Amino acid sequence: MTTEPEQTRQQVTTTPVDVDELMSQVADGDQDAFAALYDAVAPRVYGLIRRVVRDAALAEEVAQEALVEVWRNASRFDRARGSAAGWIFTIAHRRAVDRVRAEQAATERERRTARASVPFDDVVEEVTARLEQHAVRRCLDALTRVQREAILLAYYRGLTYPEVADRLGAPLPTIKTRMRDGLIRLRDCLGVSWR
Amino acid sequence: MTDVHTLAGAYVLNAVDDLDRAQFSRHLAECPACTAEVAELTETIAALTPATAETPPDRLRAAVLARAAATPQLPRETRRAPRRNAAHWQRWLAAAAAVVVLGGAGAVGYTIADHSRSGIQSAAETRRIAAVLAAPDARMQSVASGDGRVTVVTAESQNAAVAVLANLPSPGPGHAYQLWVIRDSNPRSVGVLAAGRTDATELFSGVRGAQAFGVSREPAGGSVDPTTPLVAELPLA
Repeated sequence: MTTEPEQTRQQVTTTPVDVDELMSQVADGDQDAFAALYDAVAPRVYGLIRRVVRDAALAEEVAQEALVEVWRNASRFDRARGSAAGWIFTIAHRRAVDRVRAEQAATERERRTARASVPFDDVVEEVTARLEQHAVRRCLDALTRVQREAILLAYYRGLTYPEVADRLGAPLPTIKTRMRDGLIRLRDCLGVSWR
Repeated sequence: MTDVHTLAGAYVLNAVDDLDRAQFSRHLAECPACTAEVAELTETIAALTPATAETPPDRLRAAVLARAAATPQLPRETRRAPRRNAAHWQRWLAAAAAVVVLGGAGAVGYTIADHSRSGIQSAAETRRIAAVLAAPDARMQSVASGDGRVTVVTAESQNAAVAVLANLPSPGPGHAYQLWVIRDSNPRSVGVLAAGRTDATELFSGVRGAQAFGVSREPAGGSVDPTTPLVAELPLA
């Protein structure tokens, strides 16, 4: 079990150290560093994208786009504003979400009622089950139900906060606030700090 | 805390539309506290990623690395773009050798292929291929042919291009694929593959002002003029 705070912190902070260093080499055009960077982050990038887009082949395509974007935009990464790993996962998540939304838009053009008929999925259960072995599970459990569901629906289903509000039947400002409060509580629970 | 500030959570979760994002980004520029919060919340979300980590297929690595190798980086904003290191390129291509193209829906990436299939002749040619792929004005075009794919990366600045034939159907016994550059409707042969060969990486020059690149199926050894219809054709202009 990895529920001790010590281990939690370690999990959060050890990985990005190397990645930061690699990232600055990548920004200098170092392709060997990029290969090492790939090895360090690809499973998390691919796994995250696959969670969001669902389809394995699509996940591979989106992961490729995201990682090439990391290479291409390496000089834009600003270490003063966050870790390289955080920056990379943001790019990966953004790409995945953009793809999901584009496909939803296409589906809706064909079937305007599509979204309304999508059953409320068991995303929360599914994701928390996967998190079972991870320390973050304990911290997610410490959130209120609305905080947790709002965060997980947005993160793993690519929903916008108005869509989350719609799904959870809660007012817009509430959802906006719960997402932020929930993440702050998660941050404190995980002991994440930045500088 | 202003109202826009409460968007920090939705913002780091990418749960905003473009309008919200633009608005919040503007806000960030003038709010150091928000910048710090966004950084911390981004790290927080990053802490969720080990839980969903999954080993991607091996081909993703080859595709990503080779595509990166062919993709110029954005220059740094404050100083000149780093010049690409030729030594890296050599190592890269020497180890890998041929660049074969992997086609996907709407996206084309490179993957590294077995050297023995590449047809690359020498280190000098490898360097020139790398130079074409790395040229700032390099343009890539690709077309499917049967189950295979023909891709051309053109660098006008170098008056050169690299054609990659991958997994084409067999040309048949006693036949070979031949490559052409077409200018003002006049085809000029730029290479003939060995008989039966279905994969190749070929460097050729004289692309400036040319309109098209074509691949034809010919009797082994090639022909003076291409047999039509062409197996594949791509615009160069």
